[in-house]
Amino acid sequence: MNMPTSVRILFVAFLLLSLALMLSCTKETDYYVYEVQDVEITPVNSFKDKPKTHSQYISILYANMFQTAIGPNQMLQALKAIESIGDKQVAYDILVSKYMNDPNVKLPSDESMREDPESFVRDTYKRFLVRQPTEAELQWMINYIESRPTLTTELVYFSFATSNEHAHY
Amino acid sequence: MKRRQFIKKSSLATAGSISMPYILPSGLLNMTTTPPMAEHVVFVLFAGGVRQQEAVLQRYLAEGQNEDVEGNIMYNMLTGAPPDDKIAYGQDDTANNIIGGIPINPILQTPLDQIGTLFPEVRFSKGGAGHFSGLSTGVSGNYSTIQGLRNRPVAPTIFEYLRRHAGFKATDCWFVGVGITGSRPLLNYSSTADYGRRYGGNFIAPTTTFGSPGMEHFMDFKNYHQETEWSKILEMREFLNQNFKNEGLEIAHLYNSVDEQDSIKEFVRKTFEKVEMGSISLPPVNDNGDLKTIGFAVELLNWFKPKLMVVDMTNIDVCHGNYTAYLKNLHRGDHGVGFLWREIQRIPEMAGKTTMIVMPEHGRDLEPNPIMDDNDWFAYDHSGNNVNTRRIFTLMTGPNIDQGLRVGDPANPIGDASDIVPTIADLFGIKDTVMSQGLVDPTARSLFDRI
Repeated sequence: MNMPTSVRILFVAFLLLSLALMLSCTKETDYYVYEVQDVEITPVNSFKDKPKTHSQYISILYANMFQTAIGPNQMLQALKAIESIGDKQVAYDILVSKYMNDPNVKLPSDESMREDPESFVRDTYKRFLVRQPTEAELQWMINYIESRPTLTTELVYFSFATSNEHAHY
Repeated sequence: MKRRQFIKKSSLATAGSISMPYILPSGLLNMTTTPPMAEHVVFVLFAGGVRQQEAVLQRYLAEGQNEDVEGNIMYNMLTGAPPDDKIAYGQDDTANNIIGGIPINPILQTPLDQIGTLFPEVRFSKGGAGHFSGLSTGVSGNYSTIQGLRNRPVAPTIFEYLRRHAGFKATDCWFVGVGITGSRPLLNYSSTADYGRRYGGNFIAPTTTFGSPGMEHFMDFKNYHQETEWSKILEMREFLNQNFKNEGLEIAHLYNSVDEQDSIKEFVRKTFEKVEMGSISLPPVNDNGDLKTIGFAVELLNWFKPKLMVVDMTNIDVCHGNYTAYLKNLHRGDHGVGFLWREIQRIPEMAGKTTMIVMPEHGRDLEPNPIMDDNDWFAYDHSGNNVNTRRIFTLMTGPNIDQGLRVGDPANPIGDASDIVPTIADLFGIKDTVMSQGLVDPTARSLFDRI
């Protein structure tokens, strides 16, 4: 095909220009990979992995129940009593039952628990387990309190005092 | 031999039940391979280090103090006439100002060696001759040569074998300690993998539980109503415990069922009431801790009717510094054993179905230490390198035990301190299973196999 020279030149120039544009304007492609970082979800109390010694358990229990420190002689006697029974759950149950019979035990009133169960639950978790309840724990405990009219603060305290978490730190 | 006769007679009746292993409630296989020979066993770890000379040899002062007086001061357990001179082992004769001058009347009309089998010359053959070592060997059948105080036995205890392989409940198995010293509270289960606390026996040290510590911190504990109060505590505690699932982190309970836990608490409550009323079944003479412990042990037998109860005594260990007191407490130890046997026969569920085994945890030295008491009698220690300390005896009585049989003598020792675990396993029909675990001393054998 016969083509005027000027047209040929224009055509070649156009090709060259196009090629230059294609090469110079190639968009740099960025690849983003979105991943989920592995995060180990542990319970809020998972850091408590050490059992309290009997002495630690007794002294903390006594402070929680009576809002005062146990005396050294009382501590020694309580320690001996605990060691004299092999099943420590039974021994702790008896010890807490004994303390609950003491007129000096400091318990919130049942009325205060009924008036503001959330505050009571939060305070109880803080007192015995040294942490705030999770939302699930909070709701379960509030529901439990509200659905059982005869439940007393004493029974709640007893269950916290003799729970596995209270025996660990 | 009676054991063979018994096995022959009972094999047909029990063949079905023993030939077909079955799944225990725990999910494990019941490994009973022979018919049980007893429904209950009471094992007395006797007294705290006994010299053969004052016990089965009945030499009284003749070998210990170079006084020419012999005689038997353990006449509930052993046949033999008591000493007729220099009586210092009884109750104090205050009228005549004679310490120990009034022997305690025998409780049993027939000494136990006449209604049972006596191994008069047994060996505590290995390890240190300390109390914990002796007690640990007694309950584990393995000499604790690599452990010390404040450690649990390194080999499974008989409680663990029975709970794991015979399906015993926790309250079927009891260690009644004379106290909480000497690591006694650690003797109810071992640190062995695959055994341990899951299969532990219950432990109680009654003179502490019901003594001043327990009176201050346990007595009059609140009794919650089961349905309206206790059930709520359990529900809330269960919720709290479900939210604390760290592996192995729980209060060190012994897998007593809820009913068993309640039963233990009720036992504690009722026993406190008896203490207050002064109605504990104590031996007629109960002027030391051993005899009080025996009294509480009888209360426990009456309440739980356990399949296995181990009870230990310690008061004769006063021999380290007072030989006269040693004689008095040895005499009282015999009194306690006689009382225990008599009371067992008064419990309908246990009478005629209970085997009792009595064995000192170790012996005492042949040579005295320099300490003299008010009678100018020398005291005795117990040393691992003293041959005399390794001499002990074993007495066994109950159904299917040969009566009046003596096995071995000083020239021909038969039996070992590690034999008790295989023997109790044999009595409950799981000897083969226990031995096949390979965790008892290699020389340990059932005493029935040594006869």
